[in-house]
Amino acid sequence: MTELLTNSGLQLVLLLLVAPLLSGMIKTLKARLQTRRGPGVLQSYRDIFKLLRKGMVIPETASWIFTVTPYVVFGTATLVGLMIPMTTTHAPFSLFGGVLAVVYLLALGRFFLALGGLDTGSSFGGLGSSREMTISAIAEPAMMLAIFTVALGANSTNLSEMAKVAVGQSWRFLAPSQMLAFAALFIVLIAETGRIPVDNPATHLELTMIHEAMVLEYSGPYLALIEWGASIKQLVLMTLLVNTFFPFGLSSNWTAQTVGVGLVFYLAKLLMLACMIVLVETTNAKLRLFRVPELLMVAFILGALALISTFLF
Amino acid sequence: MHFVPNPELGNRIITLMAALVLVLQIAAVGQRWIISSIRIFAVQSFLLGAIAAVIAYFNQASHIYVVALLTVFLKAGLLPRLLERLVGRIGIRREIEPLINVPLSILVTGGLTLLGYVVAESFYHPEETSARAALGHNTLAVAIALFLIGFFTMVNRRKALTQVLGLLSLENGLLLAAISLTYGMPLVVEIGIFFDVLVAVMVLGILVFRIRETFDSMDVSKLRKLRE
Repeated sequence: MTELLTNSGLQLVLLLLVAPLLSGMIKTLKARLQTRRGPGVLQSYRDIFKLLRKGMVIPETASWIFTVTPYVVFGTATLVGLMIPMTTTHAPFSLFGGVLAVVYLLALGRFFLALGGLDTGSSFGGLGSSREMTISAIAEPAMMLAIFTVALGANSTNLSEMAKVAVGQSWRFLAPSQMLAFAALFIVLIAETGRIPVDNPATHLELTMIHEAMVLEYSGPYLALIEWGASIKQLVLMTLLVNTFFPFGLSSNWTAQTVGVGLVFYLAKLLMLACMIVLVETTNAKLRLFRVPELLMVAFILGALALISTFLF
Repeated sequence: MHFVPNPELGNRIITLMAALVLVLQIAAVGQRWIISSIRIFAVQSFLLGAIAAVIAYFNQASHIYVVALLTVFLKAGLLPRLLERLVGRIGIRREIEPLINVPLSILVTGGLTLLGYVVAESFYHPEETSARAALGHNTLAVAIALFLIGFFTMVNRRKALTQVLGLLSLENGLLLAAISLTYGMPLVVEIGIFFDVLVAVMVLGILVFRIRETFDSMDVSKLRKLRE
């Protein structure tokens, strides 16, 4: 019981603290690669603290959905974070649900975010919501197919079980099905976190914005919650990617030493994935909106091929 | 003591690289810029050469090294260079919309890959548990898929130049099937095929250039119109 408590406590702290750091790190790395100085690594924390202390402007036309949305977005992201293994193979809420719960909790957060965008009746919010739904309609099946490929290899949809099996055969990512699934999930990660070929996180230009358009009406603590939730969601997806495909260093028992090693490995893997994302963001131009489904279709086909090839190889 | 490479490892590496080749082919179908298609083809050919080298190493078949070298030099070096020069001379950098739109094309590609696997399945004999049988099974599926997708690209694209690229990836599929199933045909045959492809690309290059000169377009659907 105490083990469960310390495990969830540690993971919760990690989630809440590492997520903004990771966003800041990606921003800094990206700036450095473009030979700009860029904001410091801690800028995301400063933004969140600044927003939390500010007042709020709530549109007159907004209903209860507008006020509920930030909590739902933040809550679902954190809950999903507690369901996936981060430093140990045993996630705190692993009994609670498997990959299906993860996918649908993320979908719930996104659904509310889209509703929140629509709720105020501003045209930008509706535009952002419609774009977000267009993208997620293809990104979600692609994500499911990719995760199911891994689940099939482990004979379980429970993420902790999957991690345990993966630790047992840590060179499994060399199998073609795993590689295809990884490629599919990486494209989905780019799409879901609103990164450059799909969405530009640093713009407020009405022609291109997706995520920013939905949260345009939010301000103060609500905006802080949404941004924090978004960075947690990013951390969750990245964790899913690194820990299911590259399970090195995941500790399978609960001693201070192995957990420490697990933590170091985990952070190193996250940093490497962040570097990959930065490279993709810097070397690509943003796609036109109507080209985005093509990219996601590639992810979908890769996921489908991955699933098929587990049966055939 | 003679060092014997582990065939299991070789098998894994080859399967992985074959999967990469397939991914590149799918990426090529979704590609609009002609230059990028040519570069994808170059990388794919390089991987194919690497597969040949791995097969040569793990089976101690030294004549496949020649195939690998030829593939890397001709298909990953010379042919892309020729095609890029052609693109530079014609001055057309973008492909117009293919006959079937891109998302649907990619779906079709997935279906063709599946078909490749189904066809290859019938050649698979699980009772033969040797690594060699399993290797043939995996790479044959990829090879058939490459072949079919190459055909599909030729039918689907309208520009003569991208059709040439379709032909080349079709040929890549043939090469993959040949080296992974038979561990290399006689060297004379291989060299013959290589020069065949080289000459074909040169002739097609001139043809494409002439089509462009005569019709002011590379769109082959315009070839129906007769002109003075």
